[in-house]
Amino acid sequence: MAFLDVTDLEITYTVGGGGLKAVDGVSFQLEEGQSLGVVGESGCGKTTIAKGMMQLLPKNGRISAGSIRLKDRELVGLSKDAVRRVRLKEIAMISQSAMNALNPVYTIGDQLIEGILTHTNFSKKEAYERAVQVFSLVGLEEKRLRSYPHQMSGGMKQRAVIAMALSLKPALIIADEPTTALDVVVQDRILQRILKIQKEINSSMIFITHDISVVGEICDSIMVMYGGKVLEHSSTEQFFHTPFHPYSLGLQNAFPSITEMTEQLISIPGSPPNLIDPPQGCRFRDRCPFAQPICAKEAPELREVAPGHRVACHFTEKVDEFRVLAKKNETWESVRNRLIQELHERGGQLHV
Amino acid sequence: MSEKPLVKINHLKKYYPVRKKFTELFNKETTFVRAVDDINLEIRKGEILGLAGESGSGKTTTGEIIVRLQDKSDGEIIFDGHPFDADTREDRLHFRKEIQMIFQDPYETLNPRFNVFETIAEPLRIHGLKDKKEIYRKVVQALDIAELKPPEHFLYSFPHELSGGQRQRVAIARGIVLEPKFLVADEPVSMLDVSIRADILNLLRRLRDEMGLTMLYVSHDLSTIKYLCDRIAVMYLGKIVEEGPVDVVLEHPQHPYTKVLLAAVPVADPDHQKQRILIDDEVPDQINLPDGCRFIPRCPFVTDQCSTCTHELFEYAPDQFSACIFADQDQVLNPDRIIEDA
Repeated sequence: MAFLDVTDLEITYTVGGGGLKAVDGVSFQLEEGQSLGVVGESGCGKTTIAKGMMQLLPKNGRISAGSIRLKDRELVGLSKDAVRRVRLKEIAMISQSAMNALNPVYTIGDQLIEGILTHTNFSKKEAYERAVQVFSLVGLEEKRLRSYPHQMSGGMKQRAVIAMALSLKPALIIADEPTTALDVVVQDRILQRILKIQKEINSSMIFITHDISVVGEICDSIMVMYGGKVLEHSSTEQFFHTPFHPYSLGLQNAFPSITEMTEQLISIPGSPPNLIDPPQGCRFRDRCPFAQPICAKEAPELREVAPGHRVACHFTEKVDEFRVLAKKNETWESVRNRLIQELHERGGQLHV
Repeated sequence: MSEKPLVKINHLKKYYPVRKKFTELFNKETTFVRAVDDINLEIRKGEILGLAGESGSGKTTTGEIIVRLQDKSDGEIIFDGHPFDADTREDRLHFRKEIQMIFQDPYETLNPRFNVFETIAEPLRIHGLKDKKEIYRKVVQALDIAELKPPEHFLYSFPHELSGGQRQRVAIARGIVLEPKFLVADEPVSMLDVSIRADILNLLRRLRDEMGLTMLYVSHDLSTIKYLCDRIAVMYLGKIVEEGPVDVVLEHPQHPYTKVLLAAVPVADPDHQKQRILIDDEVPDQINLPDGCRFIPRCPFVTDQCSTCTHELFEYAPDQFSACIFADQDQVLNPDRIIEDA
């Protein structure tokens, strides 16, 4: 039994009378002490998964199917009270706008200690000691516990929030773009700190980002999401050395590298599908240079192509050919031209 | 590529006065934040210069002074051979026609009440174009160059109907519709999704290659600078600390700050062994700067001699400049400054 076992998870938002499946049949497992990077474009469902696991979905969102088992305990369907006990203690989240998550009228220490007291039988003194301890883990001095949020810089607030999330040594850390919008130097230090603490308390981690180079640097495995579905899931090495899915191939073309000279960045033309009315078949087929008629009819299942490497594509056996073609600009240019052509046909009718 | 500078910046300074505390009310001295402190820069015709640095380094301020969104405190900017100090409306108008800017956040820089056509036509009207057919033609042409295809499809869309990448293209179309000679792009891709990022970077490249546009690209992201720019200038607390051709500087950085920045860039390749240089990630006090090199409080290579540094750029190889007094020498990590955190 895996440490964390997510099976056929579906999360639905009610939008304008209809349902929008932001997460559609996602399954994955995570072992103790391992870290998983979840990557994808805006709207692919990566943040929704995080919120679903914390049961912090907005009012119009709900887990409509599937299960989330953490250490053999089912989390879907728990009562509100039970969920509250799990949060912070078992699963802690470092959110994207962590710096704005602090209450401006309480000191950082008060907010940190409140969380510790709620979830443990610690005395106030013990809680304070724990607070000092986690503060030193993130490199903040004890006196900072008496500071108010406005007295601290953005980087320090981010560290305080990390300290808060880790104060009860949670079994699972969910980090949702914790460093987006930060400077590289600050980002680097924060990533190193999160990594170090995660190793120290042996937590598992789900790291959500749109930057595959960050995942390459800190995660053991990587899961690529697109339109609410998982397209590829593998170890980080496998993903960078032997990617399978055309979308993964496209993503890797789109990143400028600092280590070598990139001749030409190639982007993936088009935009993600509309999930209110998702297309039949493979969700990526619109933008896929290798799409065949079958892709429009049947949605590919996630299949294992190598040990620990799952891919959802009908044509995994043609991957060698794809890898060569995907490096060429013309391959993607043909998709772009097709999309422009389609838009032109529709546009002509729209604006006469 | 011609060698003549299109933009030349001499001893540019921008000081912001700091509000006094009550107890200092009778103190005659005003303190300043020296956001841009005596920098010299040349941007040659047809090149893209990358201006790198952290928050608070003064890179955005420099860009805004060039487009005159802010007034300089001192120094001079020479554009295309003419000093630009003019204060009459006509002069400013002429200048703005030649120099345009693209901003970071495509969600905030477009007027939500203007559709795409109006957004792009407005600068043409301000600059006196009245012929409606001509305006239409130029707007469509600008959209075409910015690769919003087919242009007719987007003309009457409003910003809220467009994706982030499309908005940034509209902003670029607005920037180039006057056919400027010089474009300042301030972090134009940092808010965009990765796949769109590549598109916009390629578009900016094409503007240089095909239209001969000269550009100042302001960013903290060294990997996009490496991809897009010809030369790079690295700023730290208002000073330029290193400057040179982008491939050389990023291959063999000579200033400790550039080394630190470079080491912090995440690398996708899991096999890549990188040398980690950790430094204090707090941006230091901008008012009470140390004597000598401004990087002293955080520099991992600091020595006793560093307080004698004057930030003078030293040409250690042709066209390559560094402000470190140990440029082109072996720099040894100072054992007191090694942070053990990872």
